[in-house]
Amino acid sequence: MSKQNKPQTRQKKAWFSALLDSEKWNGLTIPMLTILLTLVAASIILLVMGKNPLVAFLSFLQGSGFFPKASYGGGQGILTDLFNFMNILAPMILAALAFVVGFKAGLFNIGIAGQMLASGFLATVIIGYSGLSAVLAKPLVLVIGIVAGGLLGALVGWLKYKFNIHEVVSTIMLNYIISYLCGFFINTYFADSLTRSSKICSDSARLTWTNVNIGGVKCNLPLGIVLAVAAAFLVKFIFDRTVFGFELKAVGTNVRCARYTGINVGRRLVFSMAFSGMLAGLAGVTYYCGYYNTIVPKSLASMGYDAISVALLGNSAPIGAIFAGILITIFQYGSNYMSSTVGVPKEIASLITGILLLFSACGGYFRYMAHRRLEREKDEEIEASRAAKSAGEPAESPNAENREKEGKL
Amino acid sequence: MDKVFIDGLSFAAPLFIMAMGAIYSEKSGITNLAVEGFQGFGAFVGALTAILLMPVLGDGSQAVIYIAMLAAFVGGGIYACLHALLCIKFRANQVISGVVINILAVALTTFLTSTINKSLNGDASNKFVLGVFNRYTIPGLSQIPVIGALFRNMYPFEFIMIVVAIVAWYLMYRTRFGMRMRACGENPQAVDAAGGNVDRTRFISVMISGALSGVGGICFAYSISANFSPSIYMGYGYLAIAAMIFGNWNILPTGAVCLFFGLAKAGGYQLCLSMGLPSNYSDLFMMLPYVLTLILLVFFSKRNHPPKAAGEPYDKGKR
Repeated sequence: MSKQNKPQTRQKKAWFSALLDSEKWNGLTIPMLTILLTLVAASIILLVMGKNPLVAFLSFLQGSGFFPKASYGGGQGILTDLFNFMNILAPMILAALAFVVGFKAGLFNIGIAGQMLASGFLATVIIGYSGLSAVLAKPLVLVIGIVAGGLLGALVGWLKYKFNIHEVVSTIMLNYIISYLCGFFINTYFADSLTRSSKICSDSARLTWTNVNIGGVKCNLPLGIVLAVAAAFLVKFIFDRTVFGFELKAVGTNVRCARYTGINVGRRLVFSMAFSGMLAGLAGVTYYCGYYNTIVPKSLASMGYDAISVALLGNSAPIGAIFAGILITIFQYGSNYMSSTVGVPKEIASLITGILLLFSACGGYFRYMAHRRLEREKDEEIEASRAAKSAGEPAESPNAENREKEGKL
Repeated sequence: MDKVFIDGLSFAAPLFIMAMGAIYSEKSGITNLAVEGFQGFGAFVGALTAILLMPVLGDGSQAVIYIAMLAAFVGGGIYACLHALLCIKFRANQVISGVVINILAVALTTFLTSTINKSLNGDASNKFVLGVFNRYTIPGLSQIPVIGALFRNMYPFEFIMIVVAIVAWYLMYRTRFGMRMRACGENPQAVDAAGGNVDRTRFISVMISGALSGVGGICFAYSISANFSPSIYMGYGYLAIAAMIFGNWNILPTGAVCLFFGLAKAGGYQLCLSMGLPSNYSDLFMMLPYVLTLILLVFFSKRNHPPKAAGEPYDKGKR
């Protein structure tokens, strides 16, 4: 009976691999592993610098309004921080969704930053300076964001479909063009003589209710966060439940197969880029006419690239993007407070994001390794049982199936 | 007019060497969006070396610059290992890996620069102040009428680039390694069948790519900005990629495209100055190379022939 004992201990060892490999759970376990590895790496960096990582991580959370700080300035409280946090979280989620939508159709939208800037700029100039009343201005800002972003996205998709220009190259070129163009117009016509950035967008057009008093604490209420969460569920619905979403996924998985089944691939490419651009446009207006109310000329929001990490960390799933967005925003937004309490330069936030990205890019490999290990153990088990019975019983069928799976991976 | 040639060439040369780096990686079958990160990290290593050496060798010493270039070459190569590891060993999506490498390079170099500055001289600025290359003029050639300006006021790195370009061309098109490398990008299975090692060839190619990009980065740091700061990430790496695609993944056409970019950029700037427009308008002219690229890509992209296997991790079992 000693032999029965052995597989059991093996199984205990294999639970970790099994968790990483299981179809049902790997969407959760692999990001978890990534986050864990990142926290370990970040702790090591902080320890090397002679700081206490636990205090640093707590400061990140305090800065983002999840834990009360030691002291607050006049009229501010934990809610102030939390609402500000959600205000910057909203464009992050929307931008990540923009990447997800493109990615599902096999397109890399690197141009989110440019699409954000274009829509934010147009919304600020057209509505933000117009003096319309809030009831009219706020929806119009959204519409302009959607239209501007959507058109830019559609242009990229069209260039790809019509002229075979890789979307990565065209979006990068467009990023620069938009950045210089907006920079030129802001510097020439809309510059604030004091700050050198664009004149501020009026409060009635802003997607943030500023200075709302809640329980004696002044808060900026973000409207974008509602939009962002709604958009995440909408994207999920489109991909899970509609023909359009299914066709996009089909194009993303295998273009040739999609074409063979009669899907109009070119049109789907344009649509998915346009859809992606619309979300990026929404991110732009919630960023430039929500969290901020002004645009610094000739600078693209680093959020356009951070959103890619959010999307990847969230397993390129819309709901995952919400959680991944929360995590990365905690690091990015909380870094200001962290840097003031712990004394580490706040650039460490982007370093942590970078490490997080690095590990999440390896996510597929973690799964592959877990799968291989499980397989090896299964092989050993079969061999052991075969040796025990010694009568050649053909029990390899599950094994052969797994081999095939590995080949596909 | 002379200024256009001088500035254009000094911009085109580093761009060309970065584009060449990109070609090396892509020809071996590894999509390389990481040029931007490679050049930044290479420049960082070079600048760090220069900062550390300057007190020893004296501020004005030009020897520091060459050592820094060598350091950038090595630094870029080592940093490129990360991309190679992710793409080859960890089978990550190569476009994603490229983006990751870029983001990480920006974060890492910015963080390290301010941390090192703090420990060296107390203030946490994010700049390494470097000198500028001395400029040279070639006696005979510079007397030729119009093109003569190409040989006036040259940075010494422009000569180095030409040498490197010739070596790189020879390595890619005339040696066994070069042929294997190009085959890895077209049909890795065939290389494997012929007894080559696909993964190793790709790894080396990506390292070469990083090393060349690193040299390009330090040249930008030494010529245009005269310091190393996060502003090195101006997107020239992406421009190099565009030049590569535009040059159809071949070294010589890519060189021509880079020269074109350089002249367009310098020409636009000089045009803006000579027309007496306010400095705001320089933004519009700075936009020019990118707009031109996009328009030209419309005409040339159809006939492009990217390496067939680029972007796919090598899988022995695949037919």
